Amino acid sequence: MRKTTGALAGLLALSMFAAACGGDDADTGSGSAETTAAGGATETTAAAMERGFQGDCASEEVFCIGLVTDVGKVDDKSFNQSAWEGAMQAAQELDGFADYIETVDSKDYETNIQSFIDKKADVVLTVGFALGEATTAAAKANPDTHFIGVDAFQGEVVPNLTGLVFNEDKAGFMAGALAGLLTETNVVGAVLGTDKVPPVVAFGKGWENGAKHTNPEVKAITTYHPGGLDVAFLDPTWGGQTAKQALDNNADVIFGAGGKTGNGALIEVAKKDGAYCVGVDTDQWETVPEAHPCLVTSAMKLIDDGVVELAAQVKDGSIEGGNYFGKVGLAPFHDFDSKLPADVKTEIEQIIADVDSGKLPTGVN
Amino acid sequence: MNRQRVQSALLPVVAVLVAFLIGAIVVLADGKSPVRAAEAVIKGSMANRAAIGATLEKATPLILTGLAVIVGMKAGLFNIGAQGQLLLGSIMSAYVGYRLTVLPTVVHLPLALLAGVAFGAVPAFVVGVLKAYRGVHEVIATIMMNTILVNLTDWLAGGPWMQPDQAISKTPPIQASAEIPKVADLPVGFFLAVVMAFVVWFLLSRTTLGFELGTVGANRDAAHYAGMSVKGITVLAMTLSGALAGLGGAIETQGVVGRFEPGFNRGLGFDGITIALLAKVSPRAAIPAALLIGALRASSTQLQSIAQVAPEIVDVILAVALLLVAAPMIIRWALRLRNASGVEGVNLNTGWGS
Repeated sequence: MRKTTGALAGLLALSMFAAACGGDDADTGSGSAETTAAGGATETTAAAMERGFQGDCASEEVFCIGLVTDVGKVDDKSFNQSAWEGAMQAAQELDGFADYIETVDSKDYETNIQSFIDKKADVVLTVGFALGEATTAAAKANPDTHFIGVDAFQGEVVPNLTGLVFNEDKAGFMAGALAGLLTETNVVGAVLGTDKVPPVVAFGKGWENGAKHTNPEVKAITTYHPGGLDVAFLDPTWGGQTAKQALDNNADVIFGAGGKTGNGALIEVAKKDGAYCVGVDTDQWETVPEAHPCLVTSAMKLIDDGVVELAAQVKDGSIEGGNYFGKVGLAPFHDFDSKLPADVKTEIEQIIADVDSGKLPTGVN
Repeated sequence: MNRQRVQSALLPVVAVLVAFLIGAIVVLADGKSPVRAAEAVIKGSMANRAAIGATLEKATPLILTGLAVIVGMKAGLFNIGAQGQLLLGSIMSAYVGYRLTVLPTVVHLPLALLAGVAFGAVPAFVVGVLKAYRGVHEVIATIMMNTILVNLTDWLAGGPWMQPDQAISKTPPIQASAEIPKVADLPVGFFLAVVMAFVVWFLLSRTTLGFELGTVGANRDAAHYAGMSVKGITVLAMTLSGALAGLGGAIETQGVVGRFEPGFNRGLGFDGITIALLAKVSPRAAIPAALLIGALRASSTQLQSIAQVAPEIVDVILAVALLLVAAPMIIRWALRLRNASGVEGVNLNTGWGS
């Protein structure tokens, strides 16, 4: 009998091992619980708009948007999800269709982009800095298709490729300024995806400078994920641990910026009484409900608005190559709206306006 | 005897079929069409020459990491470090590939491959020595080595060897003289991997060294009593295993990616374990096992594009197949333990928990 139990245990161990080795190594642990919740969330959004190209995309009248993710998921509750929601909204407004392909293997960027070209998509939307090179190559090879690269800053202008880029330093600065006003320990923390991605660094530096702007005494603990592009945004376990370390070092406002890694940080901070956390990219109040106890705001890049705007420009033919700067800002305070002192709110509103207009420089170039 | 062999060969085939069936049920439960999913797999992996090329390309490193794990298992070693060995082989082949600029193809291409082989072997050699002379368990050592090598290669590609004037961590592209060509969409590297499978099969089953390796794997004490150098064989098996994984990394760099870029070789070493088990630790069977996984992986675009099925279904299918193949091995192992308590039985298991 004991032997049988042993065999069963071995079997179980092996199956878990196989599961762990199969794919998303980093995306185990707290990630799995999230995925189920997110699955539900995407379905509700998708209910309004069926995924897939259900018309003849080759025809002039039918407008089709194809989205390719980096090795990320459209239900990541921040970056990719925001782009996908924008694509769906654009498809709806322009009476067209939208579909996506999630990249599993980085070597497949080209194949995935090509599959939408083969399907005669009018717009191919590539989401993430890492796809930049593959997108540029595809744009040059396919002059009749328009490409939008989210977060892909364009050094040279390709006429049918538009980079949807953001001043992340501004969003980070606004959030940091709020953190500087809120902190009681004078220590703020940031848990970030890899510093190999320039927009992430801009978020982080802007955050630090913002906090110092409103609170010169403040000490900033900023930590970047040490791994490569393949795991840096998919590691909620590391995010949680790093957030905990920052809390242990007296930080009481934590910025979580980096896909699922950042979400892990938010969820960890939510467990601690009195600590604040700040989300990223989208209004994470909507996407990470576990973070409600701490989530005071999110440093937003309005990716969805940018996608909708650019898609409309493609449709009416007014789009140009080069870079398009999307809007940034802070998400609503939600439950914290009543808890924040009035003078803090007035001050932060002024800062947001000044940063937005460029009157108040972020100190990040 | 013959009938037994047929039955034994049939097991993985049945396991894969059952896994596909369960995969189909999962697809159905997700509200998608298994028929369209099957269509997507066929279209993505074999419908035309480009698709076949993609399958072979994905299968190539998997054959080699599969062989790496098989060589280890034959000698009673569980090499979980194929991933790290492959990474180091991959980046070293990239370095030789981009740094040396004036060599003709006939010298440059094999030299870069050799760099991959040699540097894949180095970390495995260290693990082998630790195992043979210090009794450090190879599972622990290779897991730790993986972490070291992932971070070392990340650092090299984002630091001293990073392509200048751009932001992404990656080495410069290799010279044309180090590139492994494609002939009519078919990657030449694949055929090299197939040749290696036969070389390893020959080595393991037709040479004295192979016999010694298997004996050490089956029973260390008996091997020692028979006058074999158990320590030497352990180090050699591990080194050979790392060399094969390193070759896989080199072919990836020179035939597919064209440079080293962190994240581009993800999971290949771990798929090697799946292949070794699916192939029931037989070198030649690693070829169909790798082709199967390669075909499924090559289909991930079409699965989403045609059938709107999440690409994770591939991992579900593979995990189920692996479970079905491995279950009898584990049960046999458990039964054997009952018969002869404490004696290491099937060579597959000696590296596991002991």
